[in-house]
Amino acid sequence: MKKSMSIAAAIALAGGIAMAKEVKVGVVLPLTGPIAAFGQTSKGGLDIAYEQNHKLKNGDDVKLVVLDDRGDKVEAATAVKRLLDKNGVTVILGEVASGNSMAMAPIAEKAKTPMITHASTNPRVTKGKKYVTRACFIDPFQGAVMAKYALNNGMKTAVVVTDAKQDYSVGLSKAFKKAYTAGGGKILKTVLINSGDKDFNAQVSTIKAAHPDIIAFTGYYPEAALMVKQARAMGVKAPFIGADGVGFPELVKIGGKAAEGFMYTDHFNEAAASSPEAKAYVEAFHKKYHKPADSMGALAADAYGMILNAMNQCIDEGKAPTDKECVNDKLRHTKGYKGITGVINIDENGNAVKSAVINEVKDGKFAYKTTVNP
Amino acid sequence: MDFSTFLQQLINGASLGSMYALIAIGYTMVYGVLRLINFAHGDIMMVGAFLTLMGVTAGLPFPLAVLLGIIGTVIVGILTDKIAYKPLREAPKISLLITAIGISFFLENLFNVIFGGIPKAFPAPDYLTKVLHLGEIYLPVTVIIIPVVTVLILGGVLWVLYRTKYGMAIRALAFDIPTVKLMGVDADRIITIVFALGSALAAIGGVFYAISYPSIDPLMGVIVGLKAFAAAVLGGIGSVTGAVIGGFILGFTEIFVVALFPELGGYKDAFAFFFLILVLLFRPTGIMGEDLERSRF
Repeated sequence: MKKSMSIAAAIALAGGIAMAKEVKVGVVLPLTGPIAAFGQTSKGGLDIAYEQNHKLKNGDDVKLVVLDDRGDKVEAATAVKRLLDKNGVTVILGEVASGNSMAMAPIAEKAKTPMITHASTNPRVTKGKKYVTRACFIDPFQGAVMAKYALNNGMKTAVVVTDAKQDYSVGLSKAFKKAYTAGGGKILKTVLINSGDKDFNAQVSTIKAAHPDIIAFTGYYPEAALMVKQARAMGVKAPFIGADGVGFPELVKIGGKAAEGFMYTDHFNEAAASSPEAKAYVEAFHKKYHKPADSMGALAADAYGMILNAMNQCIDEGKAPTDKECVNDKLRHTKGYKGITGVINIDENGNAVKSAVINEVKDGKFAYKTTVNP
Repeated sequence: MDFSTFLQQLINGASLGSMYALIAIGYTMVYGVLRLINFAHGDIMMVGAFLTLMGVTAGLPFPLAVLLGIIGTVIVGILTDKIAYKPLREAPKISLLITAIGISFFLENLFNVIFGGIPKAFPAPDYLTKVLHLGEIYLPVTVIIIPVVTVLILGGVLWVLYRTKYGMAIRALAFDIPTVKLMGVDADRIITIVFALGSALAAIGGVFYAISYPSIDPLMGVIVGLKAFAAAVLGGIGSVTGAVIGGFILGFTEIFVVALFPELGGYKDAFAFFFLILVLLFRPTGIMGEDLERSRF
């Protein structure tokens, strides 16, 4: 990872002097640290998209400058500064965690550099920002999908598990509660956890005493895997429903049999891939990694595709692909972009309006259940 | 909260508390001799868990993998002492403390490079992950095993300290290193033994931690190391029995904050540390620590 990063940086530097026909895209991802799985899978998908296409219409070459922020807010902000000051990138792609994207957004905004996050779903990431766009849906939508699915399946009482340390989880819990109570459901209790915790027995005992129909877990996969395991060990039978933060192989590897039946909303499931773009991506993914295509990678590939799409539109208008104002304008007005995760339209706030899928852990795999349209 | 939930929470508290106690014993022992707060203790614990995982992945039976994991961790502990701490024996204590923090970062990042940052499943055997049902109450077998192991280790450590020649040397070192050297005792070797013992305790703690919470990553030792440190300070750092008492107090505090005030559950660590400050205000040397200068074990 380090090697490829430095090579990319070296090529980018050398290229800057040798030939001007180069457009740099800065990428900030958590490649190590507690949420490394998000960063690693994002990078995997991004690499495929890059291999498939890294030439613009006018023959210019796109170069990626990838930096690791270790999943840390401060490091993420520093990485953006470095990409702007040292590498001179035109666009910034990243981060995954909403909290980290929120640390990056004000810096990109101030430098008038377009930033696109592929996977941060908290509404506050783009709120009031002119230069920040995203390739994914937002939590109010995701929370509503979770709530509706639970209610439609006759689960009328819920306990909400919120990760107090994550902006993502706090926002998603709020969205779920709003949609769930509006639809006639009852929230019995909210229990709080902290990411990094391993012992959830106290919370699980509280949940058990409340006897809910469903447990809405809004945090990330490391805690989800341990919590569902401890819940099943203590005889809690209520099903879990989560969101895009839990759909990682580690949920099954660590959770084992206890993870069976864990439902979650997600951006993409290869079983539902029907468009030619999605099929081509899934095929390339299988060929390169020999495993099912994940949603983080697909989103990163879409965000990258949207950047290329915007740059090509600028070239069509006779502007340079390095024209930040033009690229940002085109990104913010993306309409009907045929991505891997579905058709993407960007609304006036910079948020993608698109469909969600619901998956369920079945026999240790992520089985596709249904697609929910906006 | 009904009675069965209350009982369940008591068991949860005992389970978490015994975990902290087990790890805190190692912390306090190294401190007792060297006056060194070994901030790498949590990371040594992580090394123990990862080495055991390696053994299991290589196809070894679980007990053998644990044994090799402990031996490997002891070697890492001894190497750490030889390379990083030994050259600083005569240096001010603060240099040693900074080195310990450096070792901690080094181990975390080394294992990050080798194993990656993604949490790994720890394959504990079924007989250690069983859950007993007593009516409404669920009792994981680790809740019984860990306190037993903690008591056995506590007994073992006390036996070594008070009934063996090495133990006598260790206790003497805790008082005055130069004088003990003048008596013809090889102080460096005894200190190495202390590190070996401390690392073995950390490895055992790491394995049981991984059995209880079967998701291990290179940063797993950071928070639990901090908690075990707090437990050791609470009980009176340097006192082995104090470490056990401190561990249980911390475990029960954390569980009951969540049990009684679920909406404040996100601040359970704040409560635990607030409690620590409160105790230190009234007993600056901790619960078992009697006098800063006199208390040795």
